[in-house]
Order: sequence, then structure tokens, then C-alpha cells
Amino acid sequence: MGVFILRKVGAALIVVFLASVLVFVGVRAIPGDPALALAAENRDPEVLAAIREKYGLDEPIPIQYVRWVGLAVQGDLGTDNRGLPVAETIVTRIPLTLELAGLALLIGTVLGIGAGVIAAVRRGKPSDYAATTVALLGLSVPHFWLGLLMIIVFAVNLNWLPAGGYVSFREDPIGNLEHMLMPAIVLGAGLSAVLMRQMRSAMLESLGADYVRTARAKGLTEWSVVGKHALRNSLITVTTVIGLQLGALISGAVITEQIFGIAGFGRLTVDSIAQRDYPLIQGVVLVAAVGYVVVNLLVDLAYSVINPRIRVSGASN
Amino acid sequence: MSYVEATPLGARARRRRILGRRFLRRPAAVVSLGIVVGAIGAAVLARWVAPYAPGETDFDAILASPSREHLLGTDELGRDTLSRIIWGARASIQAGFFATMLAMALAVPIGLIAGYYRGWLDTVIARVTDVLLAFPFLILAVGLAAILGPSLLNATLALGIAAVPPLVRIARGEALALREEDYVRAAVANGANDAVIIGRHIVPNMASTLLVQATLTIPAAIIGEAVLSFLGLGVQPPTPSWGVMLNAAQSYLGEAPSLAVYPGLAIVIVALAFNLLGDGLRDVLDPKTER
Repeated sequence: MGVFILRKVGAALIVVFLASVLVFVGVRAIPGDPALALAAENRDPEVLAAIREKYGLDEPIPIQYVRWVGLAVQGDLGTDNRGLPVAETIVTRIPLTLELAGLALLIGTVLGIGAGVIAAVRRGKPSDYAATTVALLGLSVPHFWLGLLMIIVFAVNLNWLPAGGYVSFREDPIGNLEHMLMPAIVLGAGLSAVLMRQMRSAMLESLGADYVRTARAKGLTEWSVVGKHALRNSLITVTTVIGLQLGALISGAVITEQIFGIAGFGRLTVDSIAQRDYPLIQGVVLVAAVGYVVVNLLVDLAYSVINPRIRVSGASN
Repeated sequence: MSYVEATPLGARARRRRILGRRFLRRPAAVVSLGIVVGAIGAAVLARWVAPYAPGETDFDAILASPSREHLLGTDELGRDTLSRIIWGARASIQAGFFATMLAMALAVPIGLIAGYYRGWLDTVIARVTDVLLAFPFLILAVGLAAILGPSLLNATLALGIAAVPPLVRIARGEALALREEDYVRAAVANGANDAVIIGRHIVPNMASTLLVQATLTIPAAIIGEAVLSFLGLGVQPPTPSWGVMLNAAQSYLGEAPSLAVYPGLAIVIVALAFNLLGDGLRDVLDPKTER
């Protein structure tokens, strides 16, 4: 187990390193001189030289990279074009996105697993067709369009929920949930569609397995056959799918925050790109990459706890 | 004399007829093919099919509801929604096809080289692919589009490059499996060189898998184009694109909700048609994976 964890952590560190190089070189590949951008209207060569020296822009790229990483490791991502510390901006935006993604994960998982189990147990009946059709539609409907439709129906026409914005949970818990409900449903919809399909096929496989026949033969109630035996074994497959879908959740958050006017990490990403604020872009992408790798690592480790077979085969190759 | 030529021509024609009949037995796939052909036709023939030019304004009908003159109503500048959706199909179809072609052109040779020659190059390619696969398709595309700058061409390039990693993995996997086939060994024993083996035995046998993957990559790229344009990273207004139209519609959700409905419907119908067509092709070409 120790070797397995070490191997996974090592692989994750390599990914973070490669991602940081990619971000750093990528931002420097963008046409335009950052010193000119920082100097604004001032084209005095002496001022430009001073700026280059101050920010280390006159040094070779590898040295700039080492300096940047050295500071980043200490939590210093530099300052953005408006002179605000990048790390601080990111830290204030992340909780909103985590709340959104967490609620979406909850909604997506509960709906997806529930609908998948029902569809599998009632295979071939109208409720199965209904769930399967809705899931297929859910896969084809882009997030941002679903968001717009929900705003039209629930905010503009019915006036049940606010069309956008954010209220902090500490100030107004109910208002917070009111603001978060639609975005979380929009973001969770795609996940629930994917999970529903996976859960349905995993359950169908489990329900046809020998141990389920044995459980039935023992005279167990249908409830305990489905709930204890089939469901538990199907959940192993579905856990992996949830892990794989966390990435889609992150990219979905970018768009969902944009539609509902939530000033989270996703919104910050789009804004930093729109404003061509390179120190900010660099910081945002690095944090996203690290976050993504950490989440993947946790999923891998959690999965090896749930399914011991992975641990064995993972350690042998 | 190669082994492919040893197959009598009649057998190939018969196989094609069997595949055609198998395809026609799938109503969802046939209808989807019709929709796909229709969407491509509308995009190519927009000049003749669309009732109005995409930028033509009618100031007597601003934010108008559907009428005989404007079948799907008009937008805030009195431009005909139906015409803009038809013209907008151009951006979607272009992005969908060219991004997929670019992705294929990059991914297939890389995957072939990795899977066929193995060795250290394969290890490097497989590792890099794994790293890139860790990032979601849209995040990669948004990042690339940000670096390249907003335009349809750059959005297409970004989507094409972002679609490369999963395709490399598939092409590599196919090449790995096919090089172990008996007919490849027979060709090696016969003295065929690598170019002949890859060109005559490996690529033709990967073709159906790649065709299915291409059909499934196109809708992802179409939705990707809409998202990038919606975020302001793709097609720039006033050029019509479904994403641009949805972005503009955001300001009029109260007065003219239909502006946000029709372009989205167009995206869903076309994306769904490509997906169902891809599923159908997979069932026809590779019955083993049929579910």
C-alpha cells in the first residue's frame, strides 16, 4: 500500500511540474511584451529597462521559471495587472466554486444513482424508458443553454428563484441556497445523466450475477437483494465514474458561474483571459492544475480503498 | 501480391451491402443521418436557403415574435432569427469538421507510431497523453483559445488540439492490438516493410473505429465552438454563431425568451444527431460492442 501511494504521489508531482512548465512557457508564447503592458503609456526605454529588471524579465526563461516556482511554492503568485496579489484573489474566489461544485456533486449523485437503480430494477417498463430518454437528452444539452432555459422559466416567468448573483452562507443561509440552487442543478445535470447510464448498466450486470441469484435463492427480500448485494457491487464502478467526472464539473463551473453571475474561480478564469492579465492567468491555471491533480490523486487512493483489486494490479505493473 | 488483394472483389461489395442493410434497420441512425445532411446542406447553401442575409436589419420588427415574415421572430436589431440560425450553422459545422480533421491528422500518426514501434517513444507519448487527458476537453480548449486569441479559426484550432489526446489513446490502442494479428505476422514473414504493413494492414483495419470516433468528436467540437463563442473566445459578433446568439440573448431573457431557445435547440438537435449517428455506425461496423 505504501509503495502504491508513493507511486501515485510521484506521478502527480510529475504532472504538476509539466503543467507548471506548460503554463509558464504558454503565457510567454503569447505575443506582446509584458514590460510594455506594465508601463502602460510610458515608452521611455529607461522605465522599460527598470521594469524588466524589477520583474526579472531580462533574465533567461529557465531562471525566471525557477524564481516563479520558488515563490509559488511559498504561496506567492505575484501581483496582477492592477497590483493586487494573485494568490489572495484566488483564495477569496475558490470557496464559491467549491460550494457550487459540492452542491452539484450532491444533486448529480443522488439523482443519477437513484434514477439508475430504478431504471435497472424496472427494466423495459415506462419508468426505465423515461429515465433513459431524459439521461440521453441531459448528455446532449449544453450546460449554458440549460442555464438560460432555467432562468427563463424559474426566474423570469415564475419568479421563484433569483436569476443570478451570490449571497454568502454566513450572512443569509436561505438566500445562499436560493442563489445556488439553479446553478447547482445546471452543473449537476450532466453528471446525473452520465451516472444514471453507468448505474443502470452496472446494476443490470449485478442483478444478473450468480451472487444475486444465490441471495434470492436464500429467500432474502427483494429489498435486501437490490439494496445490499446488487447496489453495493455496482457502486464500485460508479465511484470511478464520479472521479472521472470531477474534471467535467470544473469546466462546467466556468460556464455556470458565467451565466449566473457568480464571482467564483471559474468566473475569475474567464475574466483573467478577457483582460489578458497574464500574471493572473498564470496563477489561475497553475492552481487549477494542482487542484485537478490533487482531486485525481484522492480519487485514485479512495478507489484503491474501496476496491482492493486495483491496489494489487496497480502495484505489480 | 498482398493479402488484401487476395479477397475477391465480390466479397467486398457484398460486405458493403450487408453493412448498408444493417444501417437501414436502425431508425434513429437513419433519421440522424438525415438531420446531419440537412445541417450541412443548410450551412453550405445558407446564401440560398436563408430568407434574409444574417446582418439584414428590419427596424419595424425589433424583438418581434414569430410571424409570416420572420418565422422564428427577430432579435434586438430586427435581424431574422431563422436566417441567423441557418448562417450560424456555418460556424458550427466548420468548427465541428475542421477541428475533428485536425485532431485526426495529428492524433492518428502519433498513435500509430507509438503503438506500432513501441519503445521509449511510446512510453513518452503515452505519458504525455495521460497528462493531457487529466485536463477536461473544454478547459484545454478555453486555455488554448485564450492563448491564440478570439476568432473562429483560433477556436477551431484550439478545439482540434484539445481533442487530440483521447484520439491518440484510441489510435495507439488499435495499433497495439493490430500489430499482433496473424495477418500482420504473415506480412512480416513475407518480407513486407513497415510502410506496407501500416498502409495496407493496420490503417485499413483501424478505419472503422476511427470513423466512429470522428463522428463522436464532431458534436463535442460543435458544442465546444458554441461554448467558446458564448464566452467571447470564438466567433465575434456581428458574425452569426449559435454561441454568439445565445450570449446576446442573455440580455433579453425577459422581453424575448425565444431568442435564447432556438439557437440552443439547434445545437442540441445537431449534436444529438451526430451522437446517434456515431452510435449507429459503431453498431453497424463493430457489432461486438453493441449494447
